[in-house]
Order: sequence, then structure tokens, then C-alpha cells
Amino acid sequence: MTPPGPPAKPPPAPPRPGVGGKIAPSNPSATAKAPPPAAPQNPFCASLKEDRVMVAVGAGGVGKTTVAAALALRAAVDGRSSLVCTIDPAKRLANSLGLKELGNAESLIPEPRFQAAGLTPKAPLRAMMLDMKQTWDELIERLAPPGKREKILQNRFYQSLSSALAGSQEYIAMEKLWQLRTQRDYQLIVLDTPPTAHALDFLDAPNRVLDFMDNEAARWLLTPALAAGKVGLKLFNLGSSYVAKTLTKFTGVETLQGLAEFMSSISGMNQDFRERATEVRDLMADEKTSFVLVTAPGAERLDEVVRFHTLLRQSHMRIAAVVVNRVHLPPTFEAMGSLNRLEPQLRRKMATTVDEVSALAHADAEGIKQIKKECEGTPLIEVPRFDLDVHDLTSLWKVSRFLCGDEAVARA
Amino acid sequence: MRLLDKRLLVVTGKGGVGKSAVASALALYSARTGKRTLICEINAADRLASLYGKPVGPELTLVEDNLWAVNVRPEEALREYAMMVLKFKSVYRAVFENRLVRYFLRFIPSVAEMVMLGKVLFHVKELQGAAPKYEVVVMDAPATGHAISFLQVPQVLLDTVATGPLWTEAKWMRDLLVDPKTTAAVLVSLPEEMPVNETLELEDALRRKVKIATALVVLNGYTAPRFDERDLTSLGGSALLSLGKNHFDRAQLSLDSRNRLERQVAAPVATVPRLYEETRGPAMVERIADALAKALESAP
Repeated sequence: MTPPGPPAKPPPAPPRPGVGGKIAPSNPSATAKAPPPAAPQNPFCASLKEDRVMVAVGAGGVGKTTVAAALALRAAVDGRSSLVCTIDPAKRLANSLGLKELGNAESLIPEPRFQAAGLTPKAPLRAMMLDMKQTWDELIERLAPPGKREKILQNRFYQSLSSALAGSQEYIAMEKLWQLRTQRDYQLIVLDTPPTAHALDFLDAPNRVLDFMDNEAARWLLTPALAAGKVGLKLFNLGSSYVAKTLTKFTGVETLQGLAEFMSSISGMNQDFRERATEVRDLMADEKTSFVLVTAPGAERLDEVVRFHTLLRQSHMRIAAVVVNRVHLPPTFEAMGSLNRLEPQLRRKMATTVDEVSALAHADAEGIKQIKKECEGTPLIEVPRFDLDVHDLTSLWKVSRFLCGDEAVARA
Repeated sequence: MRLLDKRLLVVTGKGGVGKSAVASALALYSARTGKRTLICEINAADRLASLYGKPVGPELTLVEDNLWAVNVRPEEALREYAMMVLKFKSVYRAVFENRLVRYFLRFIPSVAEMVMLGKVLFHVKELQGAAPKYEVVVMDAPATGHAISFLQVPQVLLDTVATGPLWTEAKWMRDLLVDPKTTAAVLVSLPEEMPVNETLELEDALRRKVKIATALVVLNGYTAPRFDERDLTSLGGSALLSLGKNHFDRAQLSLDSRNRLERQVAAPVATVPRLYEETRGPAMVERIADALAKALESAP
């Protein structure tokens, strides 16, 4: 693998395409390459060898972080320098990787941890936990003119943009990914995205933030104020005063004032944001970027995974695979066969347990059938539910063996 | 029952713990004790409809005796609220259906959250004659991280905006939310290490940041012990050992989780047994409601 060069000069900003707009990959060599031959059996084998970026997406509580970490671990063991970037503040991932805690800086996973798990990585593995607020502040510090930085960082609307605005977490995760991809020489970066209730928040994040930066609405409502450098009674003197006035009844004058101030302080940065958002979108659509859609097997998760899948498809994002995590396995025939050899009381209790486990396995199998049907054309990989929590490198490795097809859930 | 003396029960928990199912069961239980009950889901993908097996939309719908349900979504909530402020539909249309205004409103901090929370709290205050129209309002709140920021919206606005209509709105909403006689949280958890940790963090954050106390923890998916050490010894060598051991471990983890929660949260813990049959929808809600009834009625 060749390390990435300096950040590619962005192409001239095209008219802003919607989420569905397909953008030519920013890496020209990628376009020249012929499409790969017949799809390999396991989608992750190819992705882990070729892809530069893998993005794990899915709802909260499905094990996205574990899957992301297992993929990065696998790539490192197989010889590609890797980074897993998580947003999950849970300490357990840090612990399972052998670190006391994860911070906003990339930390190297210590050698002894690998040895303890019987692994010899051919390339280093690093991990970090994204600090949203800090990344936003860094972005402003880089883009804002020196005189305006403090003003922006103190502004309440900025505080809300950087923490509360729907999509802002997703946006900043993408921003960090772009930085890591262009400024570091990792062969593979695996990004664990914020748990999103609505798939749209994630895919729509760059647009939303761009909309925020866009002055069209603000100009229309607040132009005289912006020109005067402050909002006063002038707010009511413009052509749109009827609307502005009514809106004020709703939000209060101060809210509009604060917003006008904020819009004017960031007005010089719009172009930078726009360029960056375009680059982020290019990166998402790049041939060497793939998405991993993680879900749980239950039927109640079905709608979510289908929505995600459809949106990713519509947005021309490449989905490496749908990972169905924590699948219940049915009891083996051997186990069921040995029921008869037990004494009656224990046999009764055991039979109930066998029935329960079978019911769970059956429900999961049905759910998976549905997911397969609804996500036709995308490989589906099952990872079983392990008896114990995934809490060390050994168990992460075990997860990766299922992801990469070394082991598989047997289905009749 | 002390829990149902509260007017607003905020049900929350980590994603995937069965929050909506527990919320709908709790509302069903409340309705069956004779309380006029309203359950509100917040901008969700129509979970209540599949849980009750009846259509639930943006308009309040009667789904059982004494039980109303509504899916609170930002667009409708904004329209309702704006109509209350502006009085005239034509004004609303001219202003709020203006493309640029819609665009703009997205970025006034937390407007969507404000109007959704406002709708729920409006129904808490709503009167029919002299009595509250709904005696108990159950809010199926967003999951963990989002719940805190959602419930903090009025406070954040009070900190952000100095005066004006938004401030006035935020003020009564905040006051109602932090009134311990009115509001309490119900946290849903699972008998596993991480979910319990998160529940403890959530309880702490709700109490200290939002000033809402937890009145009940629901430990969903609870496994009662079935095998003892002797059973496992007799299973030794059998292909069934791992199944037995697994059940034993899960029961142990269930007990540990319950003990941890009981030790660290100043609220009763209700356990809901793990369901194995393929029950979902109304049948599952019934089962959970029964378990809640049992747990709540035996509580001190």
C-alpha cells in the first residue's frame, strides 16, 4: 500500500448535490482500476485487504463498537496498520484493547495484550475515542479568522451547533475521519459512528450543517441587521418584516439577535465548510470506503436495518455487508439426544431450557431470513451471541473469525 | 400505589433494552388500575402502534379503556404550538409554511424538542372541568444520551435566552419537569454488566443534571435461577452442560444486576422475566404489564 499523499486539492465545488448525488471519487487512480473479478466469498476478506475506510453504522445497542474493533484488529494482525475510532464512551472497549482509557488522541495497543491473546500482529493497531466538542473547537480554531475565534467559541448558537443540533455529532465524526484519512498514513481506518435513531441523521449530516452555514435564510431575514453590524429595531424595517415580526413573537427578539450575530461571525467561513463537506461526501462515496451495517437479529430491528440499507443504497454508498450480531444458536442434536439420560427432575429443567433456547434461535433465524430478503444483494454475516461479554482481545478475535468467515453459524 | 401518584412518568434506558415495550406495559397497567392514562412516544417509528396492535398517530387515540396514545412528532407539535401562540391559521400558514422560515427554524436551538416536550407537558397540565384530563402521562422518552439532552432543553433555553416567549414557555416546562410531586423517571435496564452501568450513570445524570428522581427501575429479561451447582456436576461431560451452565450464569448475572441496582438506586427494582415464546405486540405488552403489576403491588 502506498501511504496517502498530502491532502488532495478539492475539485472546484460543484453545485451542492443532494444526499443522493453521486460524486466522482477524489482519487483518480481508483477510477482507472478495473472492477474486481467475481465477488469473493467473504466480503470482509476483500474489504480488509483493499479498503482504506470502513464505517460501521446501525442503531444503538447492537454491538457496533465491538464489530468495528474486531475488524481493525483483524486488519492489523493480517498486516495493515489500522485505527479504530470509536465514539462510545464505554470503558470496556478501552479495557478490552488493553488501555486504561481512550482519549481524543490515537493510542497504540500494547504488544503484551496481543501476546496474551496468542496473536502476533504484523502491523500496529491504534484506537481512539472521538471527543465531539474538542473536534468542533479544533475545526473552528483552524477555520475561523484569529480575531473571531473566541467570539464564535463563546456564542450560544455555536454551543448548540456543536452539541445539540441533530446531525452535528455525525458531521464531526465525518470531519475527523476526513482528517485522519488525509493527514495520517493508516492503511485502514474503521469508524464506529454515533448510535442514530434515524438513519437520515447520519447521511444527511453534511447537508444539515451546510444548511446551517448557508446564509440564504439568514440573509433574507436579517440582512439589514447584518449590514448594520447589530440587530435592533431594524429587524422590523425590512421587506419581510411581517414574517420576521411574527417569528419574533414565537422565538423572542433576542434569539434572532443572537443568531444574526453568530451568522455574521461565521460568514467568512462558509466557503471552507462547503469545500470540506464536499470532500467528506467524496470520501464517503470513494471506492475504497465501505459501510458495515450492524444489527441485532430480532424482528423489532428489521425496520431499522432495512431503512438504513435502503438509504445507503440510494446514496450510492458501498455496503460491504450486513452483520447480524449476537445471534442465538439452536441446541445441538447431540445435546438434545442426551436429555433422556438424565434423571427425571434434572431432565425436566433441562428440557425447558432446551425449549427456550430453541425458541430464541428460531426467532432469530426467522428475523435473519427477513433481513436477507429485504437486503437482497448485500452479503449477510452472522456472529453468534457468546456466552460471556466480549471483553478482551481473545473475544474480539473470535468475533473477527466469524466476520471473516473462518467460522460460521451453521444453518440447515 | 406511589408510582402512579406521579403525573408524568418518563420512561428511558439504553437502546435495545425494551424501553417502548415497558412504557406501553406501564401505561396499560396504569389504565387498568382505573387511572385515565396517556402514553406519548417521541418522534419514534410508530412503535406504539405495533405494541398495542392499533393505529397510533399524531392525534390522541383511545387504545383501551382509560388509555390514550399519541405519537408526538416535531412537525405537528410545532403547528399545534404555533397555532396556540398565533391564534390564526392563515398567519401560521403565511409564516411557518414559508420555505425559508422552515429552513431557519431548524437551527434555532432545540425548537423541535421544545415543541414536542411542550405537547407532552401540555397534556400533563390539561384539565377537564377541575380535574386533570389525564391522571397519568407516560412518556416513552428517547434513549439514554438523547434523553438527557431532550429533557434538558427547557433549562438550556432558560440559560440561552434571557426573555421573551420562548423563555416563558421554557420556564413553566422546566418547573413542571423538576417538580418531584409531578415527575419521576422509570429506567429500563437489562441484567448485564454494561446496561446496568449505563442505568446507574443515567440515574445519576437525571438526578443531578435534569433534577428528575428515579421512582422505579425495571429490570427486563430477568432469568430466575433453575440449576444449582449439583445439577451442573451431574451434567458434567454431557453435551447439555453448556446450556445448563449458560442458564446458571445468566441467573447469577440477573441476581447480581438486581443487587447492584437495589444497592445503588434509591428506588424499587421490578423484574420482568425474560420472554422466550415469540410473543410481541399486544401479547408481549400484556405479559410485561402482568409482571409489572406483580412487582409493583408486592413492593413496600
